[in-house]
Amino acid sequence: MTRTSLLLVAFFLVLSPARAQLRVSPESVILNGPEASQQMLVVEKDGRRIDRTRDVQMHVVHPNIAHVDKSGWIEARGEGKTVLLIQHQGKETRVPIEVRNFLTPTPVSFEQQIIPLLTKASCNSGGCHGKSGGQNGFQLSVFGFDPEADFRALTMEARGRRVFPAAPASSLLLTKATGAMPHGGGAKIPEGSLPYRRLLRWVREGMPLRTEAVPPIAKIEVEPAEQVLALEGAQQLRVTAIDEKGERHCVTAEAEYESNAPTIAGIDRRSLVQAGKIPGQAAILVRYMGQVAVCRITIPRPDVKFARPAEANFIDRHVWNQLERLGLPPSDVADDATFLRRVYLDTIGTLPTAAEARTFLASKNPNKRAKLIDELLDRPEYADFWTMRWSDLLRVDRDAVTAQGSVALSRWLRHQFVVNRPYDEFVRDILTAKGSITRESPAGFFKTLEKPEVMSRSISQLFLGIRIECAQCHHHPSEKWDQNDYLALAGFFTGVGRKNLPSGGEAIVAKSGTDLKHPRTGKFVPARPLGAAPVEFEPGADRRIYLADWMTSSRNPYLARATANRLWSHYFGRGLVEPIDDLRATNPATNEPLLDELTQHLKQVKFDLKSLTRTMLNSRVYQLGADTSANRDDEQNFSHVVSRTLPAEVLLDAISQTTGVPEKFNGWPEGVRAIQMWDNRIPSYFLKIFGRPVRASVCECERSNEPSIAQALHLLNAPEIQAKVKSRMGTTRRLAESKLSNSEIVDELYLGMLARRPTEKERGIVLELFRESVGDRRAAVEDTMWVLLNSKEFLYRR
Amino acid sequence: MNRQRINRRQALRIGASGFVGGLTLPRLLEMQATAATGAEPRARSCIFIFLEGGPSTIDMWDMKPDAPVEIRGPYRPIQTNVPGILVGEHCHRSARVADKFTILRTHSHDDNGHTTGYHYMMTGYRPNFADGTNSRIPVNELYPSIGSIISRELGPRSNMPPYINMPHPMNAGGPGFYGAEHAPFVIESDPVQPDFEVRDLRADERMDRSRQERRQRALAALESRSEPTGRAATMSTYYRMARDLIASPAARRAFDLRAEPESLRAAYGHTSLGQCALLGRRLVEAGCRFIGVDHAGWDTHFSCFPSLERDLIPQADQAFSALVTDLHDRGLLDSTLVVMMGEMGRTPRVNAQAGRDHWSQAQSVLFAGGGIRPGRVIGATDRQAAFPTSDPVGVADLLRTIFHLMGIDCNKTYLTPLGRPVPIVSGGRIVRELI
Repeated sequence: MTRTSLLLVAFFLVLSPARAQLRVSPESVILNGPEASQQMLVVEKDGRRIDRTRDVQMHVVHPNIAHVDKSGWIEARGEGKTVLLIQHQGKETRVPIEVRNFLTPTPVSFEQQIIPLLTKASCNSGGCHGKSGGQNGFQLSVFGFDPEADFRALTMEARGRRVFPAAPASSLLLTKATGAMPHGGGAKIPEGSLPYRRLLRWVREGMPLRTEAVPPIAKIEVEPAEQVLALEGAQQLRVTAIDEKGERHCVTAEAEYESNAPTIAGIDRRSLVQAGKIPGQAAILVRYMGQVAVCRITIPRPDVKFARPAEANFIDRHVWNQLERLGLPPSDVADDATFLRRVYLDTIGTLPTAAEARTFLASKNPNKRAKLIDELLDRPEYADFWTMRWSDLLRVDRDAVTAQGSVALSRWLRHQFVVNRPYDEFVRDILTAKGSITRESPAGFFKTLEKPEVMSRSISQLFLGIRIECAQCHHHPSEKWDQNDYLALAGFFTGVGRKNLPSGGEAIVAKSGTDLKHPRTGKFVPARPLGAAPVEFEPGADRRIYLADWMTSSRNPYLARATANRLWSHYFGRGLVEPIDDLRATNPATNEPLLDELTQHLKQVKFDLKSLTRTMLNSRVYQLGADTSANRDDEQNFSHVVSRTLPAEVLLDAISQTTGVPEKFNGWPEGVRAIQMWDNRIPSYFLKIFGRPVRASVCECERSNEPSIAQALHLLNAPEIQAKVKSRMGTTRRLAESKLSNSEIVDELYLGMLARRPTEKERGIVLELFRESVGDRRAAVEDTMWVLLNSKEFLYRR
Repeated sequence: MNRQRINRRQALRIGASGFVGGLTLPRLLEMQATAATGAEPRARSCIFIFLEGGPSTIDMWDMKPDAPVEIRGPYRPIQTNVPGILVGEHCHRSARVADKFTILRTHSHDDNGHTTGYHYMMTGYRPNFADGTNSRIPVNELYPSIGSIISRELGPRSNMPPYINMPHPMNAGGPGFYGAEHAPFVIESDPVQPDFEVRDLRADERMDRSRQERRQRALAALESRSEPTGRAATMSTYYRMARDLIASPAARRAFDLRAEPESLRAAYGHTSLGQCALLGRRLVEAGCRFIGVDHAGWDTHFSCFPSLERDLIPQADQAFSALVTDLHDRGLLDSTLVVMMGEMGRTPRVNAQAGRDHWSQAQSVLFAGGGIRPGRVIGATDRQAAFPTSDPVGVADLLRTIFHLMGIDCNKTYLTPLGRPVPIVSGGRIVRELI
């Protein structure tokens, strides 16, 4: 109601003088069969396209032949020809309608025409009859991936009581669905509705599983595929299925819809997109019969004069393009101190020391930021930090690969980052790793993966950004992958085995593999990469080599893209695609041109990760500030920097560094830093509560960055932290006993902990501590350090 | 029955349509809770005692005196204060308060592994790893544990953390995909130790109060600069809660077992389990929702009877009976659900090493308080205590019943990171005989 009146107001204000031009589609309607339907779309062309489908008057001349509802959706009512009249501002458009085969329809195909109805009514959803074990004794395959099983469940199980051909309307299938009989899931399909009529006809026709006359669907299309909406604007979608014979059917009412950003643009069951009050972008995912399509919605902020900032490189160009389109001004570039602390923590997982901060802040070199980036990439901590991050992903867990295996794997990793190994070669080495797991190599990774299926899905998620595991049990709900693709990929790993070495260790061996059997059909599925043709293997060959060839080929569409996105997410706090290892057509990047060019760039620099990192860090977008006064609501377009938590190890090192008291780890030499340790099981209460991952999966999501009470208690009150703050060997004692003035001490603490000098107000607050602890300068220094250590600015990276 | 169902739907529908007209989140949760059960839930908190390893309930709560000796074991049954209910002779303390709890004799499932059974019991979902292969803590990486679910659905009742584990993390007590926000606050020290205290809770006594206040004041002054957003805002909330815990005498007192009279401490038993149960009661009083007590050592494969009669059974018997009595004396039993069980029972037949092995087909579970009907035995097993002879109560049934007593709608569904819908409990029925 509110929406309609708003639209009408807008319409009269803006459009009546110009007498806008309307375009109606389709220009003629053919409805084939008694349950056929057609969504009309009415578009106004006035600079940009505006949906008028629900604003115009529509009616059908012969209501006994067809009926149109307020959303412009026509359904068949009887055989014959008639006309749809569309009236708008005194103008009339006529669309001829023909209903065919109403009386002599082709029989309903369970596989092609009933399954989507069950899916749309969510009968077969994972929360209902689709869950394993079914619901109240009635089980369907989730999303209808196994039509034959569903067919049996409906027509044969429970002594056939679910369908009643002698009195079709009394079938349990229908009486439960309408709610006429008590149904735990409620009334899902109204009596007399299109799906009801089709179910009824299917029972009446003797319940065929499939019919020749109804070919499978080859693809679906959504209209519009892209749309710009005003705040709180709306857009009707239309979905057309194209079958293998090339016939087009409107399935708007039968498809399923989902928005990836419901607060920006939501979608209802009848495919009306509704924009919210926040500018931004959303992708509407459309699903029908295992086919998927996407409509991208952009909602710009109105009335913004966009002042385009300078561009350091292509990243800025693409981000400004996007922000301009959305009317979102980016924040200003961060000051030197913020940049300094950020780039240290992001690149080398290490806080700048007070001396480093002082030098950088004092430098007058106009290129000092670029220079610093180059220096950081060459520091040994770069290799330490990235070894740690990749140890998470490659599951360097001492309980899983043994202590010797963990050392071997992390040494190998560190070497790769020291020499800046091209990423494609790095991936090839991992993929084809074999030999003793205690030798410096990535072989241990395969020890953590128990079965070919686990290997293939971990590798697919980690390197290609494809989460294939849904397809282990059913067709991927939002991708083209099915169980065959899943098994075909796992077929590359069937030759991987383990062998006990005479020396007592363990080795990964590669024998010739075999194809895997489909659990449902019992047929062998030939090994092939995702979306590619089956591979002819040389006899006895390590099948993984073929997969590595495909993955690292310059034509591979996934590897570079997934990597660019992963690296972007690390430096910018959020992937262009989220989750970062879930790349698919139905989960597009928030800035596609940017991800495309990053992908190209990574290929151009021959998978040189430092080079890609340098490009990212030198962009103005990376160096933006955190002030959100102009773009507070933006969460996905990188108009400002979002503060985030530090990894557990980085925070612990930061505390050790600033207090001047290294952490002692049992069995490790004094002074070792947490980011340097391969042992993920070393007992440490601090690392545990701050979210050190157990390395049980290849997902970055395992590293928890959720705050907790235990963390706050620990930082505020733990004896361990207190001991560091007041240690005789530490920073506070050194400063308190130095010749520095109180004010200089405050400077020193701020520089060492926050990489900046205090503001005058802050200095006043802190010097108050010195005044109040009369005579006890040591106490005042300790208090200052404690306060800074518990400040959000210290605990977070911004 | 039917009417209740409609009520729940209505509540959910209101939930789906957004928070209109003064319908606040707590109010909505309350409505859902009421609708789910048809009445205000009685249980506001739950103390969950987990006898890890698998208690030999055939020697405790489901005696078979007429079975051959290799099955009935060495213990004789004794009368309780409820005519007709018999328990094992080493459960004599509980026997005197049998009118305050109920024995469910037909808990049965088919996962005979420790880690896997623990996972199954705590989450309601079968794990995707083989037993014994997984030493991760917590093992439930995907599915949330019962305590995390209660934490999410009911939230805190006071400034106490809603979900607590002691005296170490429960093996399958993690939050799964719910995330760290619903992880247990783990008291990683054993309350039976004389120097027991909760980590990081006690302020440094050597630091005078004015200095502590000075620090807090300076921190507050420096932090007032900007309003935190996102995770930083959550952290601010936790900082406030942590400061409350440290500063609030009430919260700190809750953890201070020394405040209990020695006679009561002795009544619970000077054992890990006994003192955990006592601390559990204090935490319920302070507003905690779910306290999971893990008591290991019940995996008695070899020469089981000496350790059962000397250690395990007396400890559990004493702790449980003292807890139930104490809660009752304080008027808290009605609003506090107490459950005592393990991941499995043990084989009816005593093995060649004079032990009993894993037996998940039949286990007796004890329930007290929280609105259950006390003083009863529900269900029966066959002559050997091998299989239930009446309706078996599976894991989903048990969890559904516990959530029902706490006023939680088990059909509520959350999406995993992969987008799979996971209902709080999948399937199962409420054990009506218990209520």
